[in-house]
Amino acid sequence: MAIKTSGARYDIFTKIALVLVVLIIGFLILLPLANILVYSTQPSGSAILTNSWSDIVTRDIIWNTIKLGLSVAFLGTLLGFIMAYTQARVEFRGKKILHIINLIPIISPPFAFATAVIVLFGRSGIITRGVFDWRPTLYGFPGLVLVLTLSFFPIAYMNLLGMLRSLDPALDEAGSSLGASKWKVFKTVTLPLLIPGFAGSFLLLFIEAIADLANPIIIGGNYTVLASRAYMAINGDYDISLAAGYSTLLLLPALLVFLIQRYWAQKRSVVSVTGKPSGRPTMVTSKPAKFFLLSITGLLTSLVILVYLTVVFGAFVKIIGVNNEFTLDNFRYLLGGFANGAIKTTATLALIATPIAGIFGMVIAWLVIRKVRRGAEALDFLGMLGIAVPGTVIGIGYAITYNDPVKIGDFTVFPQVGGGGAILGGAIAIVMVYIIRSSPAGQRSGIAQLQQIDPAIEEASASLGASGGKTFRLVTLPLISGAFLSGLMYAFAHSMTTLSPIIFLVTPDTSILTQKILAEADQGRYGNVFALCCILIVLIMIIGGLINLFVRKTQVSVDRPMVTGR
Amino acid sequence: MASKTGSLKLERLTKEFGNGKEKVVAVRELSLTINPGEFVTLLGPSGCGKTTALRMIAGFETPTSGNVLLDGENLVAMTPDKRPMGMVFQSYALFPHMTVFDNVAYGLRIKKMSAAEIKTAVAEVLESMSLSHLANRAPNQLSGGQQQRVALARAMVVRPKVLLFDEPLSNLDAKLRAQMRIEIRNIQRRLGITSIFVTHDQDEAMSLSDRIVVMRNAVVEQVGNPDEVYRRPASVFVADFIGRSNFLKVENAKKARSGKASVVVGGVELEVAAQENALSSKHPVLLVRPESISVTAARSAKPGKSEGVVSNVVFYGNHVEYTLDTDEGLILAVVSDPIYEEIVPVGKVARYSFDEERAWLLPSESERATKEDQE
Repeated sequence: MAIKTSGARYDIFTKIALVLVVLIIGFLILLPLANILVYSTQPSGSAILTNSWSDIVTRDIIWNTIKLGLSVAFLGTLLGFIMAYTQARVEFRGKKILHIINLIPIISPPFAFATAVIVLFGRSGIITRGVFDWRPTLYGFPGLVLVLTLSFFPIAYMNLLGMLRSLDPALDEAGSSLGASKWKVFKTVTLPLLIPGFAGSFLLLFIEAIADLANPIIIGGNYTVLASRAYMAINGDYDISLAAGYSTLLLLPALLVFLIQRYWAQKRSVVSVTGKPSGRPTMVTSKPAKFFLLSITGLLTSLVILVYLTVVFGAFVKIIGVNNEFTLDNFRYLLGGFANGAIKTTATLALIATPIAGIFGMVIAWLVIRKVRRGAEALDFLGMLGIAVPGTVIGIGYAITYNDPVKIGDFTVFPQVGGGGAILGGAIAIVMVYIIRSSPAGQRSGIAQLQQIDPAIEEASASLGASGGKTFRLVTLPLISGAFLSGLMYAFAHSMTTLSPIIFLVTPDTSILTQKILAEADQGRYGNVFALCCILIVLIMIIGGLINLFVRKTQVSVDRPMVTGR
Repeated sequence: MASKTGSLKLERLTKEFGNGKEKVVAVRELSLTINPGEFVTLLGPSGCGKTTALRMIAGFETPTSGNVLLDGENLVAMTPDKRPMGMVFQSYALFPHMTVFDNVAYGLRIKKMSAAEIKTAVAEVLESMSLSHLANRAPNQLSGGQQQRVALARAMVVRPKVLLFDEPLSNLDAKLRAQMRIEIRNIQRRLGITSIFVTHDQDEAMSLSDRIVVMRNAVVEQVGNPDEVYRRPASVFVADFIGRSNFLKVENAKKARSGKASVVVGGVELEVAAQENALSSKHPVLLVRPESISVTAARSAKPGKSEGVVSNVVFYGNHVEYTLDTDEGLILAVVSDPIYEEIVPVGKVARYSFDEERAWLLPSESERATKEDQE
């Protein structure tokens, strides 16, 4: 009989953890969201909401956003699938390198793609004009789709690759042995089994695309989407209610799609993740199919490599494409004072947020899987809000909420932590954003790993007299250290590269690298943009590597089959 | 060195999962008193509630109602870590990130014993289970039997008042299982720890237990020592679950003058012992174990009374198994130490007989089932 653990009444450790988690979620995400909704009911915001369909300008912005979301979601999923299928089912050299290259865009700083693509394929692009003497207009919808697809296809790639690998090869073999050709097996067995994966990837990419702010600012041109319009409401109209109105319009579809993705698409999955695949999958041997898959894969990978080469090359020359003379001027300027403060602040704040986000994600995962009986799904959802809600919305919500002390009556419940006048120059609000934006990744991997671990192992600890807290520290945490580590790495990389919520929170005392990049890109100083991107990537690699080393030293390797005991 | 403590009392222990229409009763009003040092087995098919009962005793499940009393103290509100009990899990649940030594030392470290004391205690228990040479191994470097021993050592070393076993032998192969059974029983006897063992394997239950609690559909079907549940089962279900059984049709069941029951089986009148409700049942059945039945070749070509046609014979060397088609139903007979030349072949008529002392009259199962449905 399957029995969910969590047995007896909540012990004191669980109770404290639960209260803390709910409090943190409340202040870090629920309160700012509530304020967005409250402010959106004020005149200028409610005007946007009530006239969103009759007002032609607003309707256009909404349609722009949805069109962009659908296009990127479709293209990204398609490309991600082709890459994943090639990786899983085609034999060729350089598989591992290809895999890594496909993952790089995930930790890439914002703007790297947009600026590189402008330099390569824009009106005066090195390739478009230089090679083909063609002057296309990249700004607007086409550029956005190109850049966002390149940035987000890895999400679909990872998703679908995981699914493809967990498909039992015996299913394909069963199809073949019943007389189906390889193409027929692909169409009638593989593809239908992956439908939930397609749906999931599509929805995830949709959310990412409509939430993105950095690229619409740089490459959007006159193509306005909700995120960039909300940003303009703060930075141009100086109208908080208006910003809250656009934020609400953005928030609702994002949350809706997120809910569908999590509670519909994921539950449809018929792929058994736990079942150990037996044997090797059938590889693609047909020459035309191989050629097709490998050329698309090759093309896309070359594009990604080209973009990064441009970034690196552009950082070390005077003006890329115009004056390709080698120089260190960009770095000299940035490290000579312009970006020093930002580098230090960004790294410090990200390093403060990283362990907190990591542990926070693990604690939520543990509560969801092991402890909370009723409302586990709700807690899981609350924990994921930080990533489900578009960064722009969070940023605006924070600006509304934390640029003043939070009060109930005359009593201050939460001090002013954001804005120039706040303690530590508003750094606390930035750290809070880093935490709530990056803990969901750890939460997901923590949940995945906990589900693999026999609950009896923790029960054994309890039956030997260890309290809830001791069991968590001595048994649970070491066993999920893999997930913890990947949660830490993600938290750090994500904090270093996040922009959309941060734009609304930087102050003169707390300048953040990504915001510096935005400013430089806005001014068209691409050399500095590329150099800053390089600095950011190197920082992530060095500090990420150190985190990896540090955590690995304190962890013991855990053999998987043993953990799955039963 | 039998300890005086460790008397466990379960009072109307009940566990319900879910609510409303989806409510499932996993354990219904389980009452049981277990004496200090006693070895009690909860036996039943999967889904009968035995594991849930054990987990309520351990504290991993909160009873919907009822009490768990250890030496008179009610444990129901106590979390598992506060209960003086040790548990051996089906999957062993060894900490994969610790060595054998650290696994066994874990409970002692939680108790904040000194390092020196821990070292002695762990060394002693590892020695007693012939695990000393494996102290520095990781659990995944051990065989199934060794893992099992470590799990047992880890639970015992903290000297719990009660040891709980959740189907601990089910992952072992048959030979190792038999060996571990003996080992567990010997250690338990030596330490005199009250033990509760959950299993669906009747051999384990029979060979280990002082008493067996047979469960079915969340309720206790019978509590008795191995001899009682085997020879005097409370119901057809218990008889069928433990060992192999023949249930013979009987006629003219009535109370005999001796206090026993008088029945006619295959034309022969017998006086047999009877379960208390057997005579009030409309169609009682007579339980006769296959090994109590002897088979001889009959002279006639057509079966008469107490005779049947042999429909199947299997020769195992040390015994032979017959299936006879009789007026009383199919009868399975196990004849030990057979002489090959005397085996009655398939299609021939054989005569069966058994000692009435070896028979036991039971109420029929179908009547009880309908009665339960009406409730």
